[in-house]
Amino acid sequence: MLFTYIRRVLFPALLIFLLGGQAAQANDKLTLLLDWFINPDHAPLFVAQEQGYFAAHGLEVEMIAPADPNDPPKLVAAGKADIALSYQPQLHVQVAAGLPLTRFGTLIATPLNTLLVLEDGPVKSIADLKGRKVGYSIGGFEDALLRAMLARHGLTLDDITLVNVNFSLSPALLAGQVDAVIGAYRNFELNQLAIEGYKGRAFYVEEEGVPSYDELILVANPDHMDRAVLRRFLDALEDGVRYLVNHPDESWELFIRGRAELDDELNRLAWRDTLTRFALRPAALDRARYARFAQFMQDQGLIEKALTVKDYATVLE
Amino acid sequence: MTNNHNQPSDNPASKNSRADKNSCAGISLTAVSLRYEGKYLFKELQLDLPQGQCSALLGPSGVGKSSLLRLIAGLQPFEPSGRVIIGKNQAQLPGHLSTEIAYMAQQDLLLPWLNALDNVTLGARLRRQRPDHARARDLLRRVGLADYERALPATLSGGMRQRVALARTLMEDRPIILMDEPFSALDAITRLRLQELAAKLLRGRTILLVTHDPLEALRISQRIFIMSGRPARLSEARLPEGKTPRDPADTALLADHAELLHRLRAADGDSAPGVEP
Amino acid sequence: MRFLRPLIIIAGLVLIWQIIIWLSNVPHFILPAPARVAEAWWVHHATILGHASVTLLEIALGLMFGALLGALSALALAYFRPARRWLLPVLVASQAIPVFALAPILVLWLGYGIASKVAMATLIIYFPVATSFYDGLRRTEPGWTDLARTMGASRWVLLTRIRVPAALPALASGLRVATAVAPIGAVVGEWVGASAGLGYLMLHANGRVQIDLMFAALLTLAFFAVIIYFIVDTSLRRALPWQPDKLPTEQEE
Repeated sequence: MLFTYIRRVLFPALLIFLLGGQAAQANDKLTLLLDWFINPDHAPLFVAQEQGYFAAHGLEVEMIAPADPNDPPKLVAAGKADIALSYQPQLHVQVAAGLPLTRFGTLIATPLNTLLVLEDGPVKSIADLKGRKVGYSIGGFEDALLRAMLARHGLTLDDITLVNVNFSLSPALLAGQVDAVIGAYRNFELNQLAIEGYKGRAFYVEEEGVPSYDELILVANPDHMDRAVLRRFLDALEDGVRYLVNHPDESWELFIRGRAELDDELNRLAWRDTLTRFALRPAALDRARYARFAQFMQDQGLIEKALTVKDYATVLE
Repeated sequence: MTNNHNQPSDNPASKNSRADKNSCAGISLTAVSLRYEGKYLFKELQLDLPQGQCSALLGPSGVGKSSLLRLIAGLQPFEPSGRVIIGKNQAQLPGHLSTEIAYMAQQDLLLPWLNALDNVTLGARLRRQRPDHARARDLLRRVGLADYERALPATLSGGMRQRVALARTLMEDRPIILMDEPFSALDAITRLRLQELAAKLLRGRTILLVTHDPLEALRISQRIFIMSGRPARLSEARLPEGKTPRDPADTALLADHAELLHRLRAADGDSAPGVEP
Repeated sequence: MRFLRPLIIIAGLVLIWQIIIWLSNVPHFILPAPARVAEAWWVHHATILGHASVTLLEIALGLMFGALLGALSALALAYFRPARRWLLPVLVASQAIPVFALAPILVLWLGYGIASKVAMATLIIYFPVATSFYDGLRRTEPGWTDLARTMGASRWVLLTRIRVPAALPALASGLRVATAVAPIGAVVGEWVGASAGLGYLMLHANGRVQIDLMFAALLTLAFFAVIIYFIVDTSLRRALPWQPDKLPTEQEE
């Protein structure tokens, strides 16, 4: 009796539901590779997802978190994914190395990198770094950033000792193994220290001699990108940023919906500190700003020659 | 040559046993019991081996010959109701290793990282004594391996390795020697040669030889015991007189061989204790 | 002919590598062609070799400490019965701990210098040595122990004169495995906080999108790993001359 019911009623109904559902949608699918594990830096993306903005623009976005931040741009360049979240400084180097990538949008429009020290520590100004140990994690640009910051105070990299602490920036600083760390994000490591009961002091890189840059950008492969689809993506993203800015508390609820592991004190504090840093107009591009940073990278010897901006950044109409 | 057959004793607890209790290096088992997986392997076994003679122990596989040997050697504990007396009236405790015994197994048990000479002197080294190299060399010469003292066991043939083992056993210079099928892994001709060598070199010691080869028993022993049944019982067999090693072609020996084979076959199918000859 | 064979193998592998690139169209920033890697090696060989010496030191020290600790643990397990119950589960659990959980602790205690890398390598090397040697010690030919006991050997003499020499081939097997995993141990240690070494160099090159250099460092590591294995294997065979590689020929009596 039950079996007959399943056969005659439930099963066909299920089939119609699934197939009918498929026929009705015909959304454009996009794979987006995040730069790291899901964290508040990705807020607008998840707001757009949860509020249905992607669907409203006829998009189905699959977001994947990698374990190695170096992989996503490479995979997009190799044509294995549509969009990657990456870092502007990385983009300059990647393009110089011949990867087919172009920036088409910005997620976080300010640097997040800082030189972090303990408030009660021996370092009160950058000049105090002389003869001290600075911790870093391998990303590729720490020495360039430090060189620029130290130069303003008449110091060189030889005046400090660089210690690779990998991703344990805060623990290394707290344990006293290093006197300062570079590569600490102002919205994260600073709060990590606060949670442990310590007050940290941040030297913002863009205030210390490094030109301003976008910390998180969206890159695609110029040979494979569908400009119309990606424009719709940016429209949906802008809707997400707008909602986030207007309704931060509701947005937090959307962020942790179905992702209870993200609901901890560090993320809550980081959320609050990241809100002011999202690009309000993700599609907009300031060419002169990009060119200025490219020149900085060339001066620091990270790239051989600064390319013209249009070769690696584009505006979607 | 006239052949006198030894009359087998009807009762294994022979009337000689009381006299043998005073011997210096005999083996005497009284009421020895051993269980294996719940069943009795032997129950109140009685055995007396006189000093200075080679006694052979025959029987089907699994009847417990090796266990008996290990029991006497002290490697196998048995039930406390039994007594094993070895040599100078020492009552051996179950599991206690006697110092009167040398043990030779079916495998040569040569340590592969030591050369022949070091293998022969193994006992001294294990007891942290200074080895007598001169005597060891002499023994190697007597077993016919004078040029091989530096050879590693891997370079020696099976027969040669067993000869080194024989030299090692002699080196121990114990009055009682327990041998567990020492020549069964060798080919027929090598086996014959080693039997003769062993008979000559081990003369005068008390030997208990476990073997599955009735011809071997007839050639080199002075008494033959057949072990059969579960729990096992011992019975004696007859064999020719004469000095060992006996000629395998001798007609009296061959007649005894035929009878022995007949009895062994019966023992193999036997589950009741005490088969009468 | 002996030296020709490895050269032919290397040439063959390079050829296969080039063919894969031609056929699969994989981009150069994911798998560079042999020519690019060779060029990168030539340009940066001083840097690569400098870092290689650091990693080699870590491997050597890791092998030494790992083998020593492993052998001692195996002996303890074989000789002390209570050790078996308490130590064996700890031994097995030690292998299940992922490196990123353990490394920060090691770094906290041992600092960012070479000590924490050697500790990491030691941890990875320790297990195969300990288990192989312990297995060998447990599986001593029972005939030898019987014989030794009839000869009056004490438990200590039995262990040192019979069980240990008999277990040396098993220890050698463990050492061979340990040698094969030692480079991984050293590199993994470097990944969690180092300023020198081939693992560090690979990470650094990857971060700067210098994939050619990364592969050049990787191949250098592989090359040294093979050399080290070859050295260890030959030494072990020399040290245990009674374990012939070929089956012994039977001599006529």
